Amino acid sequence: MNYLNLFRYWRTVLVVAEMSIRMQFSDGFVLFAIVFQPMIIAILALFMLKDKGPDFAMFVVVGSGLTGLWSSLLFVSGNSINVERWIGTLESLVGAPTPFDVIVFGKNLANVFQSLLSMVTSYTLAAFLFGYSLSLTQPLLFFITLLLSLFAFICFGITIAPLFIMYRSVQQWQNAMEFPVYIMCGFLFPIALLPGWTTPLSYLLPPYWAALALHGTSTTMMPFDQIAFSWMMMILFSVMDLIIASQLFKIMLYKARVDATLEVD
Amino acid sequence: MMSTTVKNLRLFWQGTVLSYVALFAWLRPVTYMASKILMPLAQMFFFVFLGSYASGGKNQDFYVIGNAIQIASISGIFGVTMSVGGDRDAGTLPYLFGTPSNRFFIFFGRAFMHIIDGAIGVVIALTWGVLLMGLDLSRTNLSALGLTILITTFSTCGLGLLMGCLSLITANVMFVNNFVYFSLLVFSGANVEISVLPAWMQVISNVLPLTRGIASARALAAGASLHDVAPMLINEIGIGIIYGLFGYFLFAWFETQAKRNGTLETV
Repeated sequence: MNYLNLFRYWRTVLVVAEMSIRMQFSDGFVLFAIVFQPMIIAILALFMLKDKGPDFAMFVVVGSGLTGLWSSLLFVSGNSINVERWIGTLESLVGAPTPFDVIVFGKNLANVFQSLLSMVTSYTLAAFLFGYSLSLTQPLLFFITLLLSLFAFICFGITIAPLFIMYRSVQQWQNAMEFPVYIMCGFLFPIALLPGWTTPLSYLLPPYWAALALHGTSTTMMPFDQIAFSWMMMILFSVMDLIIASQLFKIMLYKARVDATLEVD
Repeated sequence: MMSTTVKNLRLFWQGTVLSYVALFAWLRPVTYMASKILMPLAQMFFFVFLGSYASGGKNQDFYVIGNAIQIASISGIFGVTMSVGGDRDAGTLPYLFGTPSNRFFIFFGRAFMHIIDGAIGVVIALTWGVLLMGLDLSRTNLSALGLTILITTFSTCGLGLLMGCLSLITANVMFVNNFVYFSLLVFSGANVEISVLPAWMQVISNVLPLTRGIASARALAAGASLHDVAPMLINEIGIGIIYGLFGYFLFAWFETQAKRNGTLETV
């Protein structure tokens, strides 16, 4: 994967992103994953955590929004290449002069940005339906964290998409991967509640660092050095994801063009 | 008369087994385990941890039991809906509607295996609850709990039959199924006491399956007898029957309309 292509083909990236958003907004499953499921989780959490203090509503908004981001990443970004195989356009895309990774990046960009709707929906729900007064404790740092989190999610997405199409045995676990990440990344409760042996596993997941910093800048006054450490971890994981994705794309394109086994189940 | 009964029972059993096998024909054991065992358990653990965090570690059994029983709705809603709607997806609906077979047995046969499958899922979840979450069932009448699980799974399958009929007339069935499934997490009392919900939500809770099943299971775990929870269980059965019959009449109406208007596969 040549990352300079992302700059060279920036218009293609944007057009692919626009097309993806248009297509996905007519898909009931995608709408459910990014709007309704986080909304229902937010309603539950607002009822369940109401005794947790004045900041809990913002905590729920951010946490339930993250559940939408992860579900969208897992099911929509994860299947962003598979879906082309299902509708029979994979060969055309692989054979087109535009680099395939540029197209997949554009799709992931759209998926991750549209899943911000999860947070917007939860915010609207908590503020207008439940009547909570919501404010961010460190707004500037929150928005920087949000941008870095989105980048980390996109990078994670372009890693799992080729993984899911090449290794069906991994994709079989897709349904079972949704809630464990909610749990291990501390989206709606601290990971301190979990058994101690799971903590290192949480540290290996980029969404954990995103959740830590987003909660820390939205509901508490997390010290800057801790926020910066979370940012650094997200950047580190993003770079690692890009390197892994680069190798996976090479293998995938080889399978498509030389082995011609990409379409084979 | 006897011959008709035997034929219908055979039809019921064959429909039961074949629809279940067909539904999972595309699944490998690993996929089945991921979708039917690990996913529900992970969901249960998520809400149990969230509940523990909310209550400061107290009342964990409340969340374990609520979410374990709620697992019945995975088979009840997704399984049954896909069994009923699967005929349309597979293109076998015209053949099904072309047969002179008894529709009642065809229709209800689609749910039978899912009652058993769903009940097994709940038992697995409760077992994990005991082993990993410290669920205390020492005062529980286990046979009454078993009956409660079966009845609750039956009633959610009733709702599933109704949803299955909707799958014959809408293209967005997975959206509807997911919405109903997740809404049950709110309305059934699995995670929030029904009495805490606003009045309009309590009204909805009272006409849904699961609500009384979860309440009965919690009462049994707290030491109640079968006699104590019998009224709730009878109501739970009644709700399941009402949803199932409503689904059956919708199925019959859909068949008539589809044949009259030639819209069998146009959705």
